[in-house]
Amino acid sequence: MSGSFKRSPFVFSIATVLVLAACSGTPSAASPGAASASAPPAASESAAASGAEGSAVTGASCQAGAAEVKFWTSHTPPDSDALKNIVDAFNTANPTTCVKMTIVPGSETDVAKLLTAIRGGAAPDIYMADRFTVPQRAAEGVLDDITAETQDVSSSYLDFAWAETQYQGKTYALPFDTDARALWYNKDLIQKAGEDPAQLDISKGAVTIDTVVKIADKVTTKDSSGNYDVMGWIPGGPGPGGNPGAFDQGWHYTWGFAYGGKFADTAACKVTPTDPGVVAGFQFLYDWAKNHDPAAVSRWVSSNFPTPQMPAQQNPLWTGKLAMTISGDWRIAEQAKYAASGNYGFTYIPIPKAGDESATWAGGWSMALIPDSKVRDQAIAFMKYIAGPDGQKVYTKESTHLPTLKDLQGDASLYDAQHKTFLDLLSVAHSRPPLSVGAAYWDALTTAQGSVESNSKQPADALKEAEDSVQPQMQC
Amino acid sequence: MTGAAPARARRRFRLGPVERRNLRWGLFFISPWLFGFFALSIFPILYTFYLSLTRYSGIRDPVFIGLANYQRVTTDPLFWKSAYNTLYYTLLAVPVGVVVAMLLAIAMNQKVREVHVYRAILYLPSILPIFAISLIFIYMLNPAYGLVNGLLHLAGLPSPNWLGDPAWSKISLVMIAQLGAGQWALVFLAGLRGIPIELYESAEIDGAGPWTKFRRITLPLMTPVILYDIIIGLSLGLQIFTQVFILTGGGGGRGGGAGPDNSLLTYVFYLYKQAFQFGQMGYAAALSAIMFVISLILAGAVFRWARGWVFYQAEEA
Repeated sequence: MSGSFKRSPFVFSIATVLVLAACSGTPSAASPGAASASAPPAASESAAASGAEGSAVTGASCQAGAAEVKFWTSHTPPDSDALKNIVDAFNTANPTTCVKMTIVPGSETDVAKLLTAIRGGAAPDIYMADRFTVPQRAAEGVLDDITAETQDVSSSYLDFAWAETQYQGKTYALPFDTDARALWYNKDLIQKAGEDPAQLDISKGAVTIDTVVKIADKVTTKDSSGNYDVMGWIPGGPGPGGNPGAFDQGWHYTWGFAYGGKFADTAACKVTPTDPGVVAGFQFLYDWAKNHDPAAVSRWVSSNFPTPQMPAQQNPLWTGKLAMTISGDWRIAEQAKYAASGNYGFTYIPIPKAGDESATWAGGWSMALIPDSKVRDQAIAFMKYIAGPDGQKVYTKESTHLPTLKDLQGDASLYDAQHKTFLDLLSVAHSRPPLSVGAAYWDALTTAQGSVESNSKQPADALKEAEDSVQPQMQC
Repeated sequence: MTGAAPARARRRFRLGPVERRNLRWGLFFISPWLFGFFALSIFPILYTFYLSLTRYSGIRDPVFIGLANYQRVTTDPLFWKSAYNTLYYTLLAVPVGVVVAMLLAIAMNQKVREVHVYRAILYLPSILPIFAISLIFIYMLNPAYGLVNGLLHLAGLPSPNWLGDPAWSKISLVMIAQLGAGQWALVFLAGLRGIPIELYESAEIDGAGPWTKFRRITLPLMTPVILYDIIIGLSLGLQIFTQVFILTGGGGGRGGGAGPDNSLLTYVFYLYKQAFQFGQMGYAAALSAIMFVISLILAGAVFRWARGWVFYQAEEA
């Protein structure tokens, strides 16, 4: 038997790679044959986004002895910059309280880190929750009842936003921002394709889906291999990396509402994804995909939107690879930052047929209290500040989202002309039904959208499956 | 011999005072492990079985609902989809992993001067964090701009939409897993070096070529290591999570679903989504319990199957 294991160069080489592994600070992927299973990455998105995971980004200059309020958000720049400014202003104005904001990246519907922190006794006091998930988290016991402390402000907020913070007649969060969706378009690309972008001008009202598809198909080009190079429009998905869903805002809710669909009957405690309007919206996505080759579209999306954590400046809308997309008001701030010289416009979400009313929908976030906070009073004071006029004014201006406070809707100092257009959309916007299964329903609809857009299932079948998987979980 | 064995066995259970004292001290010395085993392995397994009979969000008290979670499994299409994806991946990744690790080990075992450098190079990818590997692969497998398709294009081969096409997404996962094969190749290498050199010398005298030596000597004597790889690979393959979590952007909210047509929705990923995205900890516990039973059955089946082909030198001696 040879003794080559004793040879020092091999030992040295292995020692070197082990030291390198140790320096990487992450457990190595022990993968005998198949890959290893381990805990979800603590900072999966932070590398691409903030780099601030785990440490507070505010509160460094708080005075000694100030009551510490821990505040978690999953937002990343540029929105988290606006949040930081609000927190800093609060800390300056309230020296006896020190709000420490931590960026804890993750998706809107994933509370693994929050749950673990609560069970481990290291929970934040305030959690910034996507508002449509509040009833679900309240039902799970993740959020605390703040009804008594917030009765005085209950009438200050837009009705739909307030409704989303309620579960079984009690309040579990304060509404923060909201938004609205529209059809963004690149005027130069449309012009280059020989179409007049003026026909999409918002002053002319909503155009039909057929019109948008016709313009888009003229813009679309293919490369020498026959793959899509520039896309005129993709109404829905797939999502980043070819996952089910939408890569921008062409979600199930967008097209369900556009076709007059209703997603739930809250009085009957039922989700209604097989509502004819929702099915019609999905049928449009099915037909569009069929006419444009689902595999080819998926290939383009995987190439240009490889991951949800892709930096905003690489968005094909800004790089000239995509002419039109359903998106939101936050793109105003993004365009100013990443495509300031671009020639963009936006108009109503297109309508199924001439004469229909355009539909949009509004989402947004909220500030929620975690149970058993030791600084409950200070935490609620901060929640009222950030979700009150002081916080919402700053956030509206800096992030170009929209406020949920009624009083700020008419404050002309907060909006430029573009922003004001989105504000006007808000008055006719739909919102997602506040359900105890909000996250699960979103996921089930996303799965259905993926199946329909890949043409692997008919809309009615995919949506029936969504209903069957979510309805048994409903609690009212 | 047959009569003496039961008598010896009976005697073994009659402990003398010294043996009893040794047992006490033995148990005392391994008590930290015993505590860990019972508190961190046995108790959670039993508690999971209990939780699987409840409705539980992870925060509020569990509510007993009998076998409702198990009934729900039978009508849950995503349960079947995730089970299919996981089995598909495991049954592909494990044999491919064995072959790749064996090839690497044979390469590492060559009698060349710089073999230590080659060993280090072949082992190097195994130490990369799985997070980094997965993220890099998202870009390497980009259908239009990725390195892999760039090379395929140069070679005049078709360039698949790796992660965006349900037909290729699980194959991509298997490819990613092979970057960890170096670690396993070390185990194979140790096995290879444990094969007595005299066997090869005798075979050469008898005129055996390289292939015959590999098939008649190397492969049979490596079967215990291969079995070990299959068992561990099976266990880890069934639990695959991290890669799909990263490749799909977390599979929730903006991240959308779990791969095209949910083709990357693996069992543990689905379990995680139920527990941490939908607050269905009781249902997730039922999924865990089912996984536990399936893993036991599969491990038992592999051991039974292995009786026919694993060669233990000690038995022969």
